Amino acid sequence: MQSNAVSLNDIVAHYGNSQVLHGLNMSVADGELVSLLGSSGCGKTTTLRLLAGFIRPSSGSIALSGRDVTGLPPYRRGIGIVFQNYALFPHLTVAQNVGFGLKQRQVAEPERGKRVAAMLERVGLSSFADRYPSALSGGQRQRVALARALVIDPPLLMLDEPLSNLDAKLRVDMRSEIRELQRANKRTAIYVTHDQEEAFSISDRVAIMDAGRIVQLDAPETLFTRPVNAFVARFVGFENLVPMIVVERDGDRVICEAAGGVRTTLSLAATGPVGDRFVIGARPEGLAIGAPSNSTIPGTIGVRTYLGRTYQYRIDTPAGPLVANGPFSQPLQQGEAVGIGFLADQCCILPMENN
Amino acid sequence: MGADTITRTNRVTALAPWLLVLPATMAVFALLAVPVGSTLAESFSNPLGVFENYRRFFASDYNRMVVLRSFWIAFATTAIALAAGFFAAYLIAGSGPRTKRILILLSVFPLLTGVVVRSFGWMVILGRNGILNNALIELGLINAPLSLLFNQGAVLVGMVYLFLPLMILSLVGVLETIDQDLYSAAESLGSSPFGVFRQVTFPLALPGMVVGSILVFTGSLATFVTPRLLGGERQMTLATLLHEKAIISFDWEAANTIATIMIVLTALSLVALGMLAKRLSPKGRA
Repeated sequence: MQSNAVSLNDIVAHYGNSQVLHGLNMSVADGELVSLLGSSGCGKTTTLRLLAGFIRPSSGSIALSGRDVTGLPPYRRGIGIVFQNYALFPHLTVAQNVGFGLKQRQVAEPERGKRVAAMLERVGLSSFADRYPSALSGGQRQRVALARALVIDPPLLMLDEPLSNLDAKLRVDMRSEIRELQRANKRTAIYVTHDQEEAFSISDRVAIMDAGRIVQLDAPETLFTRPVNAFVARFVGFENLVPMIVVERDGDRVICEAAGGVRTTLSLAATGPVGDRFVIGARPEGLAIGAPSNSTIPGTIGVRTYLGRTYQYRIDTPAGPLVANGPFSQPLQQGEAVGIGFLADQCCILPMENN
Repeated sequence: MGADTITRTNRVTALAPWLLVLPATMAVFALLAVPVGSTLAESFSNPLGVFENYRRFFASDYNRMVVLRSFWIAFATTAIALAAGFFAAYLIAGSGPRTKRILILLSVFPLLTGVVVRSFGWMVILGRNGILNNALIELGLINAPLSLLFNQGAVLVGMVYLFLPLMILSLVGVLETIDQDLYSAAESLGSSPFGVFRQVTFPLALPGMVVGSILVFTGSLATFVTPRLLGGERQMTLATLLHEKAIISFDWEAANTIATIMIVLTALSLVALGMLAKRLSPKGRA
């Protein structure tokens, strides 16, 4: 059996009296980069701190490369961590910061100096070796933090919102730099972020977290097109979630009914098989605005927002308000009657949730 | 007329800050600069020579011993306060906001009573019929009371008690500013808790240690009540010697000389500690 680089088994964690993780399960394969994505308070940082050993789970176990580390203190786990604020030692030079972990491992000079120099070379900071962190820019500090975490050759690299303190342009550059370093070293990595674009662009797989649980752990493409529930669907931009009941099946076509008794026809070739009750999810660009017809949902144009290449409309329908995009060339006026169709190949089908 | 009013208002506005600091400045000048200046001047105005008073002072074995003792007591007080204060401050800085408030309050509590009261307190504890001796006798550990007062130990106990709060406050101030993630970072890089303390906490706390040491060292070099009450005649320090010369033997020349020596020693200690701080303190701090 191939052992995973990281496995979290049924982790329950508390801060004081409040439970922050509710039976978390996750495994990360060797050399894989997995992001933990979610809004603040979803438990992603707690998961990271558990893996690092700064906090202990109330129950459950943590294994690194098949070895149980649940009871080990942080300094025995050997995980490289890049902190959100970099946490560089202000009293040490760049080279001393990077060499810190090697020094703890009793790597003697000149070996230590050689490895530090090689690492600084790799992150492009060779000429800054003798500077103090206070004399570096945000991006340079970020690189030092990365170098410091990588030089100890950690079995697992963890990055806690590493780009959140950088400006937008630098963020994109650093993102690909991190990804390259991680790939080149075949390093297993866990990346914590609340930025969806960041997570999707950098990761092999993304774990979407909500309220102390992993809701879905999949490749970015899968998450983006096939969310497993309404939470993930909304998270990845399916703004319109319409519950449907099938009223008639006719070969490849189903006629289904939404709230308010409005009916629409869907092609199963595009949506895949559906149950008798389901929720269809559509992004604003996944809805087609056309003239009213008996296969579309009737609606009235509400507020119009200019988005650059398109207009976005809020449309009132018997099935509830929908958000749809329409072409810039043909602006629609408030109060106009329209028919809304689903572009089924851009939609997602979700199970009906009881709420 | 309008322009004139504006000009006058401007002039008053420009003068206002100077007028506001004038009373305090005059008070400082009259109550501090003048007496200190005349003390310095008097100590150098012996008709037999400018430094005659100093020559005479340092010619005495007894006086030289007093200088050394004052230095030693100040040094020992600082060292003990530093060691004890560091752990207290470390504990305080690391505790939750509520506990922190209570602990800080407790550690500065002694500052709310006067120096005399606090030193008398120690006399009550350490005296021949004091609490400590009585307790030891009651417990059958000793037969006759120990003489715990009027020795250097008593002075040190009183001094450390006196100055520990200052040290703790200085250290809490600097320990609180250390980013907790630095500890986490060091640990994740393989540093044991002791290693984190030695390589991160200690060097980053140095500025606070220097400030605290300056406060305690200069304070204990100058303090008079505690060595007077707990040390007595046998533990004469510069401060108590000065008091004796001035108040008991009315030897104002000697008193002025001692005062000047104390000022110079304090200034020199400040410079020395400052230089030490510069050498030891972590570079590159923003």
